[in-house]
Amino acid sequence: MENRPLEYDYTIAKMFMLTTIAFGIVGMLIGVILAFQLAFPGLNLILGDGLAEYTNFSRLRPLHTDAVIFGFTLSGVFATWYYVGQRVLKVSMAESRLLMTLGKLHFWLYVIVVAAAVYSLFAGVTTSKEYAEFEWPIDVGVVVVWVIFGMSMFGLIGIRREKSLYISVWYYIATFLGIAMLYLFNNMEIPTYFVTSPAGESGIGAWYHSVSMYAGTNDALVQWWYGHNAVAFGFTVPIVAMIYYFLPKESGQAIYSYKLSLLSFWGLMFVYLWAGGHHLLYSTVPDWMQTMGSIFSIVLILPSWGSAINMLLTMKGEWQQVAASPLIKFMVLGSTFYMFSTLEGPIQAIKSVNAIAHFTDWIVGHVHDGVLGWVGFMIMASLYHMAPRVFKREIYSKSLMAAQFWIQTLGVVLYFSSMWIAGITQGMMWRAHDEFGNLAYSFIDTVTVLHPYYAIRGVGGLLYLVGFLMFAYNIYKTMSSRPVEERELQSASPMGA
Amino acid sequence: MFHWLEKHPFFFAVGVFIAIAFAGLIEILPNFAQASRPVIGTAPYSTLELAGRHVYIKNSCNACHSQLIRPFKSETDRYGHYSLSGEYAYDRPFLWGSKRTGPDLMRVGNYRTTDWHENHMKDPQSVVPGSIMPAYKWLFTNSADIDTVYAEQLTVAKHFAVPYNQDVPMKDGSVQNVKMASSIAEARSLALEEAKVVAADMKDQDVKDAVARGEIPEIVALIAYMNSLK
Amino acid sequence: MSIAELQAYGYFVLTFLLVVVLYGYIYHLYTKKRDADGVDYESYSNMALKDDIDDAPVSALSDEKVPFEGAKK
Repeated sequence: MENRPLEYDYTIAKMFMLTTIAFGIVGMLIGVILAFQLAFPGLNLILGDGLAEYTNFSRLRPLHTDAVIFGFTLSGVFATWYYVGQRVLKVSMAESRLLMTLGKLHFWLYVIVVAAAVYSLFAGVTTSKEYAEFEWPIDVGVVVVWVIFGMSMFGLIGIRREKSLYISVWYYIATFLGIAMLYLFNNMEIPTYFVTSPAGESGIGAWYHSVSMYAGTNDALVQWWYGHNAVAFGFTVPIVAMIYYFLPKESGQAIYSYKLSLLSFWGLMFVYLWAGGHHLLYSTVPDWMQTMGSIFSIVLILPSWGSAINMLLTMKGEWQQVAASPLIKFMVLGSTFYMFSTLEGPIQAIKSVNAIAHFTDWIVGHVHDGVLGWVGFMIMASLYHMAPRVFKREIYSKSLMAAQFWIQTLGVVLYFSSMWIAGITQGMMWRAHDEFGNLAYSFIDTVTVLHPYYAIRGVGGLLYLVGFLMFAYNIYKTMSSRPVEERELQSASPMGA
Repeated sequence: MFHWLEKHPFFFAVGVFIAIAFAGLIEILPNFAQASRPVIGTAPYSTLELAGRHVYIKNSCNACHSQLIRPFKSETDRYGHYSLSGEYAYDRPFLWGSKRTGPDLMRVGNYRTTDWHENHMKDPQSVVPGSIMPAYKWLFTNSADIDTVYAEQLTVAKHFAVPYNQDVPMKDGSVQNVKMASSIAEARSLALEEAKVVAADMKDQDVKDAVARGEIPEIVALIAYMNSLK
Repeated sequence: MSIAELQAYGYFVLTFLLVVVLYGYIYHLYTKKRDADGVDYESYSNMALKDDIDDAPVSALSDEKVPFEGAKK
């Protein structure tokens, strides 16, 4: 090798940055289509009668959730890991050929599995369990990708120069372990292809079909233990990892209290897993588990706010940066939305509130103020911070970023406010009785009343998508039309006018 | 002890794992010992009903319809008796859903007919004005996959002791015996027998012709499943 | 003993243990303020702030590995 100083190698990070943007566009576009289908059902035939099977709401809905969770968010997690991991461990991917190979393998297998998942969901091959819709062949692929990610992560940790692990690395490790455990246990299933009939026939039916190891109430219990914590370890833990690195780095401020960050970590790890029961209130799972789910959801406010307040206090004395830098705006609003949705969630987990909120659009609203306001904002902010450093070019346009921020913020506000109203309206109408004790409304009355809110929600989602396209364009122009800088850009993100 | 953990990634990972596995260990695993026992009156799904369940899952009906009636007056007034754990004993996977964009379907068989479903699936707005449900016309032309259903029946009978070909007690004191075939050919003919009963109440001539030819359109299976939800 | 009783005891014992451990951790962090290597916890923030490949680590893993030649101190 020529005599060059050692540098961080962002090859893999760049690859995952591209899939973050690509899957983000796909997932959000499908989301916007779904939103408008609810307001204007004619859109179920958006590609004509012949393709109705593939464009109708119910077939597209799992594609939307999975594209956003496993496409957009996971890509963002991988992209930031391959960036942050090297830097806080002070070791370059270029130092180990093995790790480079693993990283590339990780990326390509991931892309293949995502492609297979998209194909199968369009075809209607699904187990019906939310965020675990994939049939067993794809589950096997997911496990392989995850193991390679783990090897790649612990491999990098193994050759580190920094003795202690930075708090972000703790969160990345927890992401890896949490998802591994949850995914495995929730997807326990028996392939049906290998059974033999009394007549001696074997290899019957579709080879990819399987049946869940758990039945009924038990299945529900495991599924929501998974479903709730897939949110924990996909939408909270790795995003906290991002903000603990990118906010201090971008603002140049040390974390307000490193000790508090350590405490919140252990608190979150211990408490989060218990809260899954709040998805099953008033169902047929044992009562004590429902109560436990409620209580722990309330306790969960503490560690969540521990992290969020720590982040906001990091900006102490530096609030002028929020006005000056659109990138800091994204992060500060992101942590504010995190506080907001981690307060909203426990409120919805209170049994009497849940009686109204469950099965309504309020839950959908809650998910989206978390994912649009917190996850989406943080991933985009992270990529904006990384782009100048990995491409060695300044960000294309600061004013475009600022415009994007305001458009998307407006989108999120329209989204959750309309869903609050829709959810509470419908919840109250379902339970309304007239003076004789009869139900006051037929079901369809409670649907038609939602039309204006569904339309507003669609507009909110569309604004967010427009902002995301501005983000994609900004990154694309950064990559292609900015002059290359001599060396890696330092400290706060440089901004073109 | 703590700072030691922070510098030893392996043991750190073990510590994190213990903290997160703890809830599952205490909360979920022990409950499996008392696996869902069926209540009286709950029978396994017949071949055609299970095929209909597959159609239900394939089209993600559970994205908009729940199958869980909560113990509130407003829900029991609207949908019938609240759900009991044992009623789900043969549900693999469970289909409770998480969002009621449309009404609950746990006991839809009690108050909707074959005829109603047929019209509704073809053109929901003609039956329920103002409905935002899309039409499911392809169910009338696609054929149900009976072989996969049969493989699933064999699997659950073998691994989970689902009582096919056994007498199951009903609420009125009678017994019901749900048949499972002993070969693929028999499974297909069992399903077809059931399909003929459903198709007799339907109006769509193409569907009737298909069943007469020995095919089973998805809609027939789905309606058989809907009618079994009681 | 029934499974439900075991569950209850297991729940109580483990929760108690974890509460003790967590409060012990808090006590440790705020009294000692430093870890066994004498590094102030708060200085670990510098792992993010000074993360160029030629920055000196906050606490190096071992002497021979750190840092590579030409690193600034």
